Amino acid sequence: MRPRPRIDVASLPTLAFGPRAPLWWGVASMLAIETTMFALLAVTYFYLRGNESLWPPAGDPPVGPATAGLFLMLLSVPPMIMVHRESGKGHRLKVMRFWLIVSMAIGLLALGFRIAEFGELPFRWDHHAYGSIVWAILGMHGIHLLVSGGENLLFVALLFKGPVEEKHLLDLRLNAMYWYFVVAWGIVTYALIYLDPGVLRS
Amino acid sequence: MRVAERYEPTVEADAEEARQLRETWKSRGGLIGWLGETDHKKIAGRYIVTAFVFFVLGGLEAALMRFQLARPESGLMGPDLYNQVFTMHGSTMMFLFAVPIMEAVAMYMVPLMIGARAMAFPRLNAYSWYCYVIGGGLLYGAFFLNVGPDTGWFSYVPLSGPEFAPGKRVDIWAQVVTFTELAALAAAVNQIATIFKYRAPGMSLSRMPLFVWSILVTAFMIIFAMPSVMAASSLLALDRLVATHFFNPAEGGDALLWQHLFWFFGHPEVYIIFIPALGMVSTIVAAFTRRKVFGYTAMVLSLVSTGFIGFGLWVHHMFATGLPQLGQSFFTAASMMIAIPSGVQIFCWIATLWSGRPRLAPPLLFVLGFVFIFVIGGLTGVMLASVPLDVQVHDTFFVVAHFHYVLIGGAVFPLLGAIFYWFPKMTGRLLSERLGKWSFWITFLGFNLTFFPMHILGLDGMPRRIYTYRAETGWGDLNLLATAGALVMALGLLLYLINVVSSWRHGAWAGDDPWGGEGLEWSVSSPPPDYNFQHLPTVRSRAPMWEQGPDQPVVVGLRSDRREVLVTRLIDAEPDHRETLPDHAMSPLAVAIATGVTFVGVIFTPWAFPIGIIITGIALIGWFWPRDESRELLEEQP
Repeated sequence: MRPRPRIDVASLPTLAFGPRAPLWWGVASMLAIETTMFALLAVTYFYLRGNESLWPPAGDPPVGPATAGLFLMLLSVPPMIMVHRESGKGHRLKVMRFWLIVSMAIGLLALGFRIAEFGELPFRWDHHAYGSIVWAILGMHGIHLLVSGGENLLFVALLFKGPVEEKHLLDLRLNAMYWYFVVAWGIVTYALIYLDPGVLRS
Repeated sequence: MRVAERYEPTVEADAEEARQLRETWKSRGGLIGWLGETDHKKIAGRYIVTAFVFFVLGGLEAALMRFQLARPESGLMGPDLYNQVFTMHGSTMMFLFAVPIMEAVAMYMVPLMIGARAMAFPRLNAYSWYCYVIGGGLLYGAFFLNVGPDTGWFSYVPLSGPEFAPGKRVDIWAQVVTFTELAALAAAVNQIATIFKYRAPGMSLSRMPLFVWSILVTAFMIIFAMPSVMAASSLLALDRLVATHFFNPAEGGDALLWQHLFWFFGHPEVYIIFIPALGMVSTIVAAFTRRKVFGYTAMVLSLVSTGFIGFGLWVHHMFATGLPQLGQSFFTAASMMIAIPSGVQIFCWIATLWSGRPRLAPPLLFVLGFVFIFVIGGLTGVMLASVPLDVQVHDTFFVVAHFHYVLIGGAVFPLLGAIFYWFPKMTGRLLSERLGKWSFWITFLGFNLTFFPMHILGLDGMPRRIYTYRAETGWGDLNLLATAGALVMALGLLLYLINVVSSWRHGAWAGDDPWGGEGLEWSVSSPPPDYNFQHLPTVRSRAPMWEQGPDQPVVVGLRSDRREVLVTRLIDAEPDHRETLPDHAMSPLAVAIATGVTFVGVIFTPWAFPIGIIITGIALIGWFWPRDESRELLEEQP
């Protein structure tokens, strides 16, 4: 065998966070796909609005449960930031468990308010196009609350049952990133459906 | 890059390492092993074969249409069957052939071209293929049960809405679209992560092969375009299944909304098919002129700008719907502007061919055929960008001729060239050049005989998607010519297929590098070992096989007792860290079946949706839950 110069990579670490990690790019790409989805629904909302002289055509939707839900979503973010911060060097499993449970519980409560929100809407999806798009936007975001909430639950189970591996620190951070995304779109969804017709244009 | 001391393994140590790598990366046998396969090469091989099966089916549908139109008032097919056949043909070629085949070739070649042992998310590839197969199976299952979709590949509302298309046909179409787009999205995400993070040390972005650049641009286009058609088809399904009113003008909905959502995907889609083909052309031109492609930077910038401009053209499919003047001007300008980057690339290839000594092997012939056909298609494209002309020939055979010139010329010809070029790498055997040349010339001749007359038919006023026409129209002769051309073209493609099948078994052995190619894929054996590279290569040139000496460093220190890969930095590809990839898994199949049950179920009952979410959730937990052979545990454990 002919001798060749070499680069020895055996001493390189086996874990990296943020854009250094391939998985970060996977999750970021998925969030880009989801953002496009949400944006298209928002575009559809405005497109349909352009066809109506009166918007919303059937009176403003009640804002109560939605505001409570939004408040809860925002409240769930600081504990998630605690989980995010803890999952790195010097991680403490107990601290991660505690804050993740807190954030998850508040998030699931927010999901409960989303379900209540549907109950309060004075129109159904099959009443008019406005009803269709509102149900679609709230439903789409509701599914994300459900899926992300389920993912939080999964990580709580993992942190208790184990085996917890080094690479799960990265997973926990990306899980937090997904949760921030869901909350951010919760804010936009709220603005679109409640502020646009009710507050910003009155 | 730190270069340590010289690497002098003993012969025994080297053989032992190869043995261990084989053991670690090998495929498992049996049905379970086959279903749980995660090797990018094997999944991509299945993907390519599947896509060509759909290509043949779509081609047979095309032949049926040509037989029907060969003479006036033919009674071969009734209008209902004809509607199904042209819808199947369009949907098959766009959703089940063109996009998947490009993704599949990329899935096979990209890791080899960037010097990686695998793709970033091996199980996601498997999931992508299963989704694709379920989607394609659903479409053809429905067709053979006489519930094939019949509203065209773009399924305009209100024709496809609940009022005018009762029954399940359009629902099936909508779910097939959702499925195949899901498959494409999964593959695109995987490509982005792989290309960004798995490139061999030294392969900075500015040294990346042009084909890899084209796949990167395509992947980003998929991410921003495909959600649009998924949203559109989901809203259509909701209108049809639970009586929403998105596209129902009587209740505040809007039919044109469908066209906007569809074409915001549909136009980028054309470039999603075409841009990988550009990468293939660059690869082949370089290999058969033995010159690096002229104007690398201009080529890359053209690919990227095509990707951007491709999102600004969708409304030119809607000129006939009555648009504001400003909108017409904007989209006309954008449609003409896209000719600039394409032109830049054509000139760069001509410059490369001019300065080199081209060897007219079949792959290069297919590329030259591409240049000829695509330039004609591009010219009619510039014509169609002008609103007055577009309104005149809208929905006629002129448009059919135009898009077959750009799609077959722009994508299928480069693809056939690329398959010819990479076939030896994939199978270890060469295709017959003589048969290859015959198949090229016959296909080329047949193609032009089929589609050139359609320009004239279109200008003559023959609308597309009519199942027959009267003799007095005078369209009979040119239609007969087109049908004859289609037979010639089919013969050429059949020869190609015969070449592939017979060479796969009896072809001459190719060796590692039969063409003297420039890229890293030619540095490994043909077919490549399961682990691709025993020692990852390093790169200091755009043409590593041509310009790097035997003193180019190799990477050592990756473990061979587990599926360990090297992660490098995004811009300069300096080594950054190592990571371990998952083994074979059944979870992708489980999740694909769960999503399949959901999407097919909702056609029949809305309850399939909540049930589907639950079973998909369970399957996903199975995917993500850590296996027992955990490594690198945190010190503190519950």
